[in-house]
Amino acid sequence: MLCIDRRGKTTFYSDRRSEDGGRRRRPKGVPKPSKTPWEEPKGLCGEDDIERREECRHCEKREGEMRRHHPAASELPIGHRRDREPHQFHPLLRTPRSPSFPSTRLHTHLLYSPTSSDLHPSNLPPPAVHKPTPVPSVIPTVPAAAAPKPPLPPPHGSTSSSGSVGVTGFGSAPNTLTEPVWHTVKRDLSRIVSNLKLVVFPNPYREDPGKALRDWDLWGPFFFIVFLGLTLSWSASVKKSEVFAVAFALLAAGAVILTLNVLLLGGHIIFFQSLSLLGYCLFPLDVGALICMLKDNVIIKVVVVAVTLAWSSWAAYPFMSTAVNPGRKALALYPVLLMYVSVGFLIIAID
Amino acid sequence: MCPRAESPFGLISFSVQPPGENYGHPRICFFHVLFKGAALPFYILSALFVNSFVIIFVVTVLLAALDFWVVKNVSGRILVGLRWWNEIDEDGESVWKFECLDQESMARINKKDSWLFWWTLYLTAVLWIFFAIFSLVRLEADYLLVVGVCLTLSIANIVGFTKCRKDAKKQLQAFATQTLATRFQSTIQSAFSVV
Repeated sequence: MLCIDRRGKTTFYSDRRSEDGGRRRRPKGVPKPSKTPWEEPKGLCGEDDIERREECRHCEKREGEMRRHHPAASELPIGHRRDREPHQFHPLLRTPRSPSFPSTRLHTHLLYSPTSSDLHPSNLPPPAVHKPTPVPSVIPTVPAAAAPKPPLPPPHGSTSSSGSVGVTGFGSAPNTLTEPVWHTVKRDLSRIVSNLKLVVFPNPYREDPGKALRDWDLWGPFFFIVFLGLTLSWSASVKKSEVFAVAFALLAAGAVILTLNVLLLGGHIIFFQSLSLLGYCLFPLDVGALICMLKDNVIIKVVVVAVTLAWSSWAAYPFMSTAVNPGRKALALYPVLLMYVSVGFLIIAID
Repeated sequence: MCPRAESPFGLISFSVQPPGENYGHPRICFFHVLFKGAALPFYILSALFVNSFVIIFVVTVLLAALDFWVVKNVSGRILVGLRWWNEIDEDGESVWKFECLDQESMARINKKDSWLFWWTLYLTAVLWIFFAIFSLVRLEADYLLVVGVCLTLSIANIVGFTKCRKDAKKQLQAFATQTLATRFQSTIQSAFSVV
């Protein structure tokens, strides 16, 4: 599908939604469109009665705010920083159930005339994106086509490439193509940190463990595996190269095989997501290996390795278990445990 | 602009330009080539100077990974205006996203930049394949591991950007036909409204 955003940049993405037979076009939490087309949409205050709605100061105030927050492009001062996009603070967009949502989206499409797109890095900071969530299912393709649109999903931190107008979630798309390099670096680093916090540390706000690592990346796992190999190699007094090569090959091949194991058991997991997850779960073992390298006492080593092993397995458990059906949970988890135990033995046995 | 020189063979005109002038983004081009150009010679020459395999492995793979990141996130964006990534949507399915600049900007991309981009991309992959065959023949499993990792990274970038370019071309054609159709429709409508 194709979309033109306010700067006239076209963005494309493979629209797999149309291939799946229309399954789940409407994300969770968005109400079904009403069956009677002539039904009056609920106001922002939720009032059904149209007269009461007109009297509602809350709604009126929001309408006023909307007008105030959408200056025409010509009214913007020169060099106006578009990071403070009005849409980002648009009060309407905070209420996901607002049915006037699509019309405002369209409205904002028409307001901004496309400025000259540039190849040079813009001075726009990237929006504060934490993790991507729903990709919008339907995007208005041509702004001039003013047909009524079905309710669009609410944006909250999405990094989709829809390229629609700079709403908090979708604003990242036109910016990422022209953002300065430093912002890309910062974005990737913060993603690594947030993934680490999500996977390894106890997080009571984790809604659905299976879907929590949506924003996977392989940099974190890469650093952790290399670090573990280096630590083991450093602790070894002989055959350092072999130790490193064995550790790296064991971990990399192990992650691939474990993922294949889950897939062959009929589980639903994405290859790279699983690799990323297993890599992040190595973090406790990294810490354990570091401690074992510094302290040489066998008992301390055993205790530390046991603790970190339990921590790693605890971190990996929710993701792996939700990926397969309950009858096969043990079959999926046992190899993971085995791999971590073998790494633990490697740490203890190195001297 | 174009200094002319007198020579026995007649008037020869040549243009003297600083080496970076034809490129649109010389610094980005430099970085694009830097990490590739560091990983390959390091791998070749390290066997002569460095005794430890660990260092060879770590440094080569680190340079290859940095190169992958630079190509994917920086030089791909800036030199050829393409970008690809993977996302996991709400249904838990992985979606590959491809993005490119609009046609106006694509036309403005420096030809030399994009030539450099694509050629170095393919060339490094070919060289890594060559080294892989070399170490396979010599039955060096350690070095095969290193080369394997670097090769995977190069190929991932090539596949990603090629798909992105094809996707972009296809969509640009579709977009062009669509705008033509809408323009045609609007002219017809305006013609009828006048009448």
